Amino acid sequence: MDFLKKHILLILIAFGMLAALIFYLLNIPDNRSANMVERGLLTLFAPVMKPVHHTSAMARSAWENYINLVDVRRENQLLKEQIKGLNSRVLEGDEAIQANTRLMRLLEMKKGLKAPTVTASVIGEDSASWFSTIVIDRGSSSGLREGLAVVASDGLVGQVIKVTSDTARVLLLTDHSSGVAATIQRSRARGVVKGKGDGQCSLEFTNREEDVKVGDVVVASGIGGIFKKGLPIGEVTMVKKGEYGIFQTILIRPGVNLAHLEEVLVIMRGGHE
Amino acid sequence: MFLGVVLAALVIETSFLPVFLASPFKPDLMLVIMVFVALRGSYGEGAPAALVLGLVKDSFSGLYLGLNVFTFLVIFIAIKCVADRLYAESASLFVFAVTVATLACMSANLLLLLFTNSSGIAFSMGSALIPHLLANAFAASLVTLLPGFEQEAEAA
Repeated sequence: MDFLKKHILLILIAFGMLAALIFYLLNIPDNRSANMVERGLLTLFAPVMKPVHHTSAMARSAWENYINLVDVRRENQLLKEQIKGLNSRVLEGDEAIQANTRLMRLLEMKKGLKAPTVTASVIGEDSASWFSTIVIDRGSSSGLREGLAVVASDGLVGQVIKVTSDTARVLLLTDHSSGVAATIQRSRARGVVKGKGDGQCSLEFTNREEDVKVGDVVVASGIGGIFKKGLPIGEVTMVKKGEYGIFQTILIRPGVNLAHLEEVLVIMRGGHE
Repeated sequence: MFLGVVLAALVIETSFLPVFLASPFKPDLMLVIMVFVALRGSYGEGAPAALVLGLVKDSFSGLYLGLNVFTFLVIFIAIKCVADRLYAESASLFVFAVTVATLACMSANLLLLLFTNSSGIAFSMGSALIPHLLANAFAASLVTLLPGFEQEAEAA
């Protein structure tokens, strides 16, 4: 009895361990389903577990959000600034690429001209819509004078008409007052390219018998000495031969997009001294 | 003040608006200013102003210096002749006067251009007539919204 009293704790532990081992061994074959004890415990704790879990989740979320929110406003401002900066750099890059492409083409034209040229930027347009002139940022201080031919990468633009020290006005091909002696490149038919004012030109004084077709390239004939022979002017878009009359009606689309001109070359040869 | 307004209008008309607007929809701001001066100003200050405005327009438009100097002066005198008998401070009258002045200016320009070698310009002017009238009327209606317009009216 004394032995039992003395070693009761040890015996109970040994018994408990044995019982637990037996309990474990008994449950091994049926380990996929809940036994009565498990069911009882789960049923007992489930109502408590659910709200506690939700509360814990909320607390965790609140903590994390709080931690995340610290400096978020500052970071947001910083990122916005970075986005603005990057956007403006992207735009500048696009603009530089476009300017580079335009200037490369202008340079190719310059190489082909074999005459001294001055590059100019377009800084203004005619204030009336029925006249076609532009203002460029070069004037007599750059050696410009009235009558000089102005070209862009795709061909003839017009001629310098009024010069000040730092600016000059250019009469575009499409102005009603403009006239350029021209030749059809393929058939060598001659005429005068006159402006029609609506972004188009016409080839006047070309005889009915001359061979002109839609798509023909029109170039400067060089007669008059202002425009260099062979400078591209545009393309024939319509040919009409009436029943009567000695000339045919020919419409030309200028090679240069005159509505979106940005840089031009002034050929420093010829003009009015 | 006057020169500042003219300079601003010129820069807007020749360098700023052409980037955004198709050619026929560009308003003639010099004409709008001239009509304003004709309705509100005296002969003494208005006539030189009309001449200057025409000169500025001619310097930045077309080939023919003097075309708009003459046209603006004629239109100024025509408006001035009737302005004293009208309620010149009215916003509606201002828009109407700009519209009529636009028509008169285009007609006078066309007549004067008959003496030049600008063959076919009548077609260009005809096709630009309606949009140009609308653009000028719109610009005039914007002017009536400026704070100074009503103050001028009260002062007058």
